[in-house]
Amino acid sequence: MGIMSSALIQARDIVFGYEGLPVLKNVSLTINHGEVFCLLGPNGSGKTTLLDCFLGLNKPESGSITVNGKNLADLHPTETAQLLAYIPQSHQKNFPFTVFDVVLMGRTSYTGFFDSPDANDRKIASDVLENMGLAHLSDRDYTRLSGGESQLVLIARALAQEAPILVMDEPSSHLDFRNEMHLLEMIINIISKGSRSVVLTTHSPYLAFFLENRGIPVRAGLLENGKLTETGCPSSVLNPENMARAFNVNTAMISHSSESGELKSLIPINAIKES
Amino acid sequence: MKPVRRRSAFYILIPTAPVILILISLCLGRYPIPVGDVIASLLNPFFGTAIDARTMAIINYIRLPRAILAVMVGGSLAVSGTAFQGLFRNPLVSSGMLGVSNGSGFGAALAIIIFGSTPLVYPISFLFGSLAVLFSYFVGRIYKTATNITLVLGGVIVGSLFSAGVSFLKYIADPYDQLPAIVFWLMGSLASARYKDILLAGIPMAAGSIGLFAVRYRINVLAMGEKEARTMGVDLRLTRIFVVACATLATAGAVCVSGVIGWVGLIIPHMGRMITGSDNRHLVPFSFSLGGCFLLIVDDISRLISGSELPLGILTAFIGAPFFIYLLKITKGKGWES
Repeated sequence: MGIMSSALIQARDIVFGYEGLPVLKNVSLTINHGEVFCLLGPNGSGKTTLLDCFLGLNKPESGSITVNGKNLADLHPTETAQLLAYIPQSHQKNFPFTVFDVVLMGRTSYTGFFDSPDANDRKIASDVLENMGLAHLSDRDYTRLSGGESQLVLIARALAQEAPILVMDEPSSHLDFRNEMHLLEMIINIISKGSRSVVLTTHSPYLAFFLENRGIPVRAGLLENGKLTETGCPSSVLNPENMARAFNVNTAMISHSSESGELKSLIPINAIKES
Repeated sequence: MKPVRRRSAFYILIPTAPVILILISLCLGRYPIPVGDVIASLLNPFFGTAIDARTMAIINYIRLPRAILAVMVGGSLAVSGTAFQGLFRNPLVSSGMLGVSNGSGFGAALAIIIFGSTPLVYPISFLFGSLAVLFSYFVGRIYKTATNITLVLGGVIVGSLFSAGVSFLKYIADPYDQLPAIVFWLMGSLASARYKDILLAGIPMAAGSIGLFAVRYRINVLAMGEKEARTMGVDLRLTRIFVVACATLATAGAVCVSGVIGWVGLIIPHMGRMITGSDNRHLVPFSFSLGGCFLLIVDDISRLISGSELPLGILTAFIGAPFFIYLLKITKGKGWES
């Protein structure tokens, strides 16, 4: 596979704003096959806006986005859904569907406007639940699940969607320590199967370091005030100098030697006083 | 999930319950008619079964069209309410949400004042019901971010506008002739039902209900929220327009021929949800059946209770409220999350 053909998402000079207020200023970014891309940045820097551009929800004012070689702006929602699956950080649960039915909804883009999912779709949904070890939740009322379980069910739904790109908006923000680890292992598992890429936003630098330490193809991007200032491997992008500039926080890079190699992470020291 | 056996029994009930209830309703009335004679009357046009002409006329030309209309009106209102509650993810939304009831009421009142109580009332009422929804839709789209919330707001505003219009027409109506006709129409009745009305109003009711039945899985996916539904491949604009158009056809068809019958389009979907759960694949057909049976029973009671017939709009609430409270108690309000 050549370098050019490994680009799954190719964004060029995206400009986007709300009511004249520019949010994204000439963002260019490539997401490759089989990698995790972690997008970091202060609140309001445009992370979610950029994800929504990738999902086809926001139409950039200028610039272009191609996904798998196709121009995103030309795609019908069903085509977009077969390329990008979205995993929200949390959502309002109105109706008590079963876990199985929620996962089955991932198959919507494969069913006609007047159709319901068929036996094949049901098989795919139950296989996904089985493979994720969630089969026991299948008949449970999805509104009664814990935050960690809901997150896993939404991932299952995205996997049933069979899209090559998973888009996660702050996937670990509502999870406890154990569930956060569970989620990261799940991402590692998905990536190591080789057929999918993950784009996620996060506020925790150590999430990116964790993936890097585990030897997963991972890159980080730093979005500052609508501009993508740095991209590269987490240990080079999320360095104390960049973190001090982007977040006004003093940090230190630490490293720990273990049997599996050198483990790096970032620890916060103090907030820099605004002058 | 329910056991398969229970579910299939349930699916048999959806079409059979209204049919059985129609048969029972045909027996009931000021002149009770035995089941045997009812069946003989129904078969007479096809097989020439022996039955006296007067009985046959009562069954075939008075009671049967009325019973069929009751089922269709109840079913259409319930199905539209179910679709709207799903589309807007809001339990307080009813079939008249986007102003269709108030618009139809205005159209009917206008027609009564201009043309008197003629069959012209039906099409004019239907027209204004549909116009009101179209208005709501455009009011809802004034904001650049046209969402379901702005659509609901548009419906509230247009609905109250037409409601004020109805009050104005009542104010200027002739108090001895037109005003009672308007007031009685607004309270709802099936007393004037003839086959012609069923055919005329039945087309939009059937078309709208079938459309909602066809698109019911998309309404399920919308329950996840608009953003997620879109990322799962739902064409939001198309789905919203389709659901609104179908629900408008069904409701305007029902209201133009029966008057404003409240409650059915708001509460029957909730009752259905308590019994079958929120999955629209089952809920939509069940709501139609439940709404149809409910309105048929209410109409039977209206016919039996007094010679002058209590308006349906009053009875639906009197009978529906205790039933709703009972269901709430036995199902513990299943079907919605707070």
